[in-house]
Parts: sequence; C-alpha cells; structure tokens
Amino acid sequence: MARLSVDNGTLIVEIEGLDKLWAIKSRIEIPLANVRGATADPGVASEPKGIKVGGTQWPGLITAGRFRRHGELVFWDVKNPAKAVVIELADEQYARVIVEVEDPRAAVALVEGALRH
Amino acid sequence: MLFAERGYDGTSVDDLVQGLGVHRGSLYKVFGSKRGLYLAALRHHLEDEVLPTVAALTVTSGPAEALAQAAGGFDGGAAAGLLLSAAVHQAPTDPDVAALVEEALRALERALAAVLGEPADSPLIGALGASVLGLRLRDRAFGPAASAPAVHALAVRLAD
Repeated sequence: MARLSVDNGTLIVEIEGLDKLWAIKSRIEIPLANVRGATADPGVASEPKGIKVGGTQWPGLITAGRFRRHGELVFWDVKNPAKAVVIELADEQYARVIVEVEDPRAAVALVEGALRH
Repeated sequence: MLFAERGYDGTSVDDLVQGLGVHRGSLYKVFGSKRGLYLAALRHHLEDEVLPTVAALTVTSGPAEALAQAAGGFDGGAAAGLLLSAAVHQAPTDPDVAALVEEALRALERALAAVLGEPADSPLIGALGASVLGLRLRDRAFGPAASAPAVHALAVRLAD
C-alpha cells in the first residue's frame, strides 16, 4: 500500500508498512512538472510485468519493486489490483509508478488536481 | 467512441486498450492518463465535428433551418453525445473539460446570433442556445423526431 501526497510542487509516494521490505525503496519524490497524469486502473495488474530488476514478485500475491519491460523501468507495489493507480512520469528514472492506494479515486483527484495548478 | 457510449467513469483502461487496439504502455506514454486521453478525444470531437457543424449553420436559409439543423445534430458525428455528456458529468469538476464545453457553446451562440442578426450576448441568443441543448438531450433520449415540432413552433414565433 502506498500513500500519495503533494508538497511544494512535489508528488511524494510513500510505501507503507511491510511493503517497504518488498519494494526496496520506501519513498519516491517526483517534481509535479515530471508527472503527466494518474489513472485508476484495476486491469493493469494483469499486464506482463517484464523482468524484475530488484524487489519481490510472488505471482498472484504481490508485485513490488522495479521491473523493466520494452526498455521502460516501472516501479510496482500492488497486492490488490482493484486499488491500483498508474502514475505516468516523464524525464524520471521510472517511466511510471504503479501503486496500490487506499482510495484510488481520491488519489487520482489529488494528482490530477495538483497538475492543473 | 467508447467515452460517448459509456461515459468517463464507465470506460475502463481495459476497455480503451481493447477498443483502440493499443498497448497499455503506449496509451500511458502518449496521453499520460485516462483523463489525458479523454481531453484529447473531446478536443478532437470539438474541432472535427462540433465546430464545422456549427459553422455550417450560418449558411442556412434562415432561423428555422438553422435551428432545425442545430437541434438535429450540432453535436453529431462519430462521437455524438460526448460533448453533452462532458457538459453534464465532467465539466462541473474539471476546469479543462468545462473550457472545451464552453468553447463549443459560445460557437453555437455566435452562429445563431449571425443567422438572426442579433448580438451574440443577447438574452434571446442565450435562450436559443439553451433550447438547442435541451432538444439535443431530448432527442438522444426519445429519438430524432421529437424536436421537429418544437423547432417549428419556435421558428414561427421568431419570424413574427
């Protein structure tokens, strides 16, 4: 599970609880200028993840860590696909960050709202 | 056009990936988000369908024909209904959607004003624009014949 917040022009993604162990990285900060959008996407979890380059994957149970596919590096922390949110980035280490959040609708509104300001 | 048929919330990224036949990664890379794709689709609908249809109103024979044509399809084409559903569902909470909807409605009002020889900001033009929207909504619900008598009655009054 991840918690999203926006502070001073920066999107902060904090990995909470035990997920910190799986995901290697427990906090990612991205300038809003490099955030292109956020989407609630329950179907994303059934996509092929690519090659794991750090972190943990127990298929069907948890996907966490860094994965490389089609030349893109993607950060994953998803157990419950129904609550997955895709955050698309530009000019960052990760092409996108895909995390499970408590309230996908609120998380998307937070990010998209921050991008409009 | 999935968004026009199912609405924004009713269209999932799975639907879009299947319907458009693109990879999920490409969709995110090009549009950034589902909302980014929606805004692009709405802008495309506005520029390729709504604005040309509205521009054509000014070369009609007069108010009756212009009103009938507007009520019959100013929001027509492949994405018919997208603008109306955007106005109802997304515009109240999304300023970018609201701006596109407003652009379409202003263009409609300017065209009606040109046909009637009225200033675009007159109350009559505002009322006519609202009538066209209402008739479009009713026709979408009950079928295309519903607006014809209303348009005719309105045109007769305007000609008085």
